[in-house]
Amino acid sequence: MPSLTAGEVVARIKANLGIPWRDTTYRDTFKFGGPGTEVKGIATTVFCSFDLVQRAADAGFNMIIPHEDTYWNDRDDVTVVSGDSLYKMKVDFMTKHNIVIFRIHDHMHAQRPDFTYVGSARALGLDSKYETAPQSHRFTIPETTLGALAADFQKRLGAKALRVVGDPNAKVSRIQLGVGYATPAVNNPDVDVVVSGELQETDGAFDSPEYVLDAVSFGIPKGWIMLGHAVSEEQGMLEMAQWVKSFTPEVPVQLLRAGEPFWVPK
Amino acid sequence: MNQISRREFVTLAAVSAVASRTAPYSRVVPPRVAITAQQIVERIRQKIGVEWKTETVDTFKAGDPATVVKGIVTTAMPTMEVLKQAVKGGANLVITCEPTFYSKSDGTSPPSGRGVGQTGAVDRISRAKNEFITTEGLVIWRFSDHWRQRKPDPLAIGLTDALGWSKLRAANDATRVTIPAITLDALTSNLKRKLNARGGIRVVGDPQLKVQKIGLLPGTTPIQAALTLLPSVDAVIAGEVREWESVEYARDKVTAGEKKSLILLGRVVSEDPGMNVCAQWVKTIVPELPSTWIPVGDPYWRPI
Repeated sequence: MPSLTAGEVVARIKANLGIPWRDTTYRDTFKFGGPGTEVKGIATTVFCSFDLVQRAADAGFNMIIPHEDTYWNDRDDVTVVSGDSLYKMKVDFMTKHNIVIFRIHDHMHAQRPDFTYVGSARALGLDSKYETAPQSHRFTIPETTLGALAADFQKRLGAKALRVVGDPNAKVSRIQLGVGYATPAVNNPDVDVVVSGELQETDGAFDSPEYVLDAVSFGIPKGWIMLGHAVSEEQGMLEMAQWVKSFTPEVPVQLLRAGEPFWVPK
Repeated sequence: MNQISRREFVTLAAVSAVASRTAPYSRVVPPRVAITAQQIVERIRQKIGVEWKTETVDTFKAGDPATVVKGIVTTAMPTMEVLKQAVKGGANLVITCEPTFYSKSDGTSPPSGRGVGQTGAVDRISRAKNEFITTEGLVIWRFSDHWRQRKPDPLAIGLTDALGWSKLRAANDATRVTIPAITLDALTSNLKRKLNARGGIRVVGDPQLKVQKIGLLPGTTPIQAALTLLPSVDAVIAGEVREWESVEYARDKVTAGEKKSLILLGRVVSEDPGMNVCAQWVKTIVPELPSTWIPVGDPYWRPI
């Protein structure tokens, strides 16, 4: 079988994307290894955690396509982290196992559909028949309570550390889905519940916990459900794996989950 | 104080107010010389011991600074619930660590780019909150940039006091404590109980890890803070971090076999006790008025 290089995989990603590649991206670049690396198998994941890299290497997937950063900062600026022994350990492991990492973030969000939303909606059971308009990411579901909705999400995801703000008994049906740190504003009067990955608690724009608490004080049903960044965006890496597989038939391609990093105290 | 519920606290605060020399705020005889909110802020600026920044969020957010103050409340976040308690207690100056109107700019209109379909318009919750503040004659002043810079770190002092670690702090660094060895599992359960946390605490690390050396990062912190602190402690107790930074860093440390852990309390929960310290300090510089801390509590709960 002719060998497949990482450079060829990236070329096929660009060719199949359906939108022009923006070379100005600092995110969607090689984070380790380079285009010349021979690819034995491709793993998609949300985070290139050290644990994930080890499991990928064990399973023979030496090309990893993560959605997020590898070196604990968005720009993957290694000067920030290279003083830490962990950086060297991770890099040494990747060298030894001929790992190549190419991040897909900006172009994943620019692509239509954006697989992060597709995967998140699928995993949460937000059926497209409930979406108010294609790719609005807004769903009008049969009326439920915030408590029941959050419990259903947690069960479907098998996640441990979901966090919810709002009255568990609030009647809700209009859901705005966000992903990762792209958390929609909770103040929209047409939205009851915002579901997303992560957002700073305050000092942002429409700080959601305080807004939801105050809305509850004024008798307005509002809810905010934070899934966690990894749990939120990992789902769509399944769709990403299926898409990459469709144009790299030479090698196995699959989602390897970095998984939820958290547990919660009793 | 931190082992009791918010409701109990309010009750106790009311009882102690009645029992102490000072009558409840509503019956406080106005000080001989009336002091305005503006004058109190001037005193704070003189006494804080931190050079005042030209660009700062520490400004009046609502109400009239010329208002004569009857009583002072400090809080990590001035939710409607906190404001109602302040009014009930007869206080009219609220000193807050976090914003009032849901953004750093603290405007009553949504910041541009957010609040779909509402940009430029007055947000309904913001408007209702502002109306409540005006009707009740409250004045809200933010105290964040400078309070955090005070030494020793008042947020770390508050957190360690609340956890019963006052005597375990390093002599010259309030953000470092050494506690009797305990498993991460037991430690985090203790934190949850002592801080009255409902559902916001999240942990990275081996539950059976023995923890002794702890570093504190109250508030919100970037990766540089974790990179600096985690290597020299067993556990970092932080308020809020970016999950793609410090959380993944801690997870990778654990994978690498290092005996490390990261505990996220939530930003507000991590700052709550530090505003109790603030109330005590304000008392020392405004002795003529009552100064009371109102805890916000954990905004988060868990579904199951």
